[in-house]
Amino acid sequence: MTEIMKYDVVVVGAGIAGPIVARNVAREGYSVLLVDKKPAIGAPKQCAEGINISIFERYGIPYDKRFINREIYGARIYSPSGYELEIRYKKVSGVILERKVFDKMLAFYAARSGADVLSRTEVEDVIRENGKIIGVKAKHEGEPVEIYGDIIVAADGVESTIARKAGINTYAPPHEFDSAYEYEMLIDGFDPELIHLWFGNDVAPRGYVWVFPKDEDRANVGIGINSDNPKTAKYYLDKWLKENNIPSKKLLEINVGVVPVGGFLKELAKENVVVVGDAARQVNPMHGGGMAEAMKAGTIASKWIVKALEEENLELLKNYTTEWWEKDGKRLERVLKIRKAVERLTDEDLDVFIEVLSGTDAEKIAEGNYTEVIKVLLKHPKVLMSARRISLLKELL
Amino acid sequence: MVEKIKIIVNEDKCYLCGGCAGVCPSLAIKVSSSKWEFFQDKCISCKICINACPVGALDFEPLEG
Repeated sequence: MTEIMKYDVVVVGAGIAGPIVARNVAREGYSVLLVDKKPAIGAPKQCAEGINISIFERYGIPYDKRFINREIYGARIYSPSGYELEIRYKKVSGVILERKVFDKMLAFYAARSGADVLSRTEVEDVIRENGKIIGVKAKHEGEPVEIYGDIIVAADGVESTIARKAGINTYAPPHEFDSAYEYEMLIDGFDPELIHLWFGNDVAPRGYVWVFPKDEDRANVGIGINSDNPKTAKYYLDKWLKENNIPSKKLLEINVGVVPVGGFLKELAKENVVVVGDAARQVNPMHGGGMAEAMKAGTIASKWIVKALEEENLELLKNYTTEWWEKDGKRLERVLKIRKAVERLTDEDLDVFIEVLSGTDAEKIAEGNYTEVIKVLLKHPKVLMSARRISLLKELL
Repeated sequence: MVEKIKIIVNEDKCYLCGGCAGVCPSLAIKVSSSKWEFFQDKCISCKICINACPVGALDFEPLEG
């Protein structure tokens, strides 16, 4: 027999954006159900687990040592020929999370705020009545469930089944995705206070190799490459490990996934369906980080969901699209433009840029202040010697 | 004319990450927490899923006719 449930808001997917929405809406007194297909929320992870320290205060998340694996003080960037650029802050700038704990705790905060949470609940389709979506069909531990909701939130990741079934066009060309592959492994010889990033067209086409330290000798070692590459992400990561004489027989985890790195969704809400996080491709296209963007989008979405429920006017959900595009869409479109220019850099360009930039410039890049750095590069003799480099950089001003 | 193909998965290699379903423009692949499914009637033979798989778990077979 099919179980029937009814909520004000049904949130599909308990990654980052979903629990933020569920928590914020439940806090305002509305009934919320958060579902996730995985039996254990947060596992397996599809993430390098690094995030800026500012998110804890900004999104009201406790700074809880249970999910903070390591505090990070900066980053070191490596060019194809081995030039290095380092940013090192005096204070903690970021953390390496334990996503398996973090995601579950976000769902726990949602539950503690009043939301119901059901793991191992796989949503398969939407339920329509007279053409309007009134709920979702799911299976909870294999048993059929019909969950009715005034508002449905598609936080179901890159697959975005619910958004697509709701008729929201989530298509992006294959070049706008990265394929990612990561080992959590034992690895020696890297400063564990910093994250480490390697660039190069033979190293990681369009992307980079990362080492995000967890212990002194344990790290997430991963790679992201353009997903239309004829070779796999695994091929490139294994090649990099071999070329750098890094032993790869102490692998504690293998994590894989596809990351949306561009072509943001134009329509984030349609009738009573709202799309957030990876499902809406709300990811920074430069570095592929999606957690902070998911939190931002989830915060905006939950504000408009609450207003729509308060005023019993679903039209207000459209304001989520408007506000996100004004606040974050424009910024990310600019980042996407820069990433597209970076994609055109040769290994020699990367060597020159990383060689001539200072730690202060790198800090500006980390803050998203690209213009100042482009101006610095445009004054450097090694850049001025190449008309192509000048033209590429001027496009970005 | 585009060659009609059937996408096949090597279940031993697949991590059920859902990436192939994410990049498929026609919802021809569904990945649940326990299985990978392919819907031939929806496939447009673009092969985007094959390239996108981070571990090379997907391949194709040509369809006759």
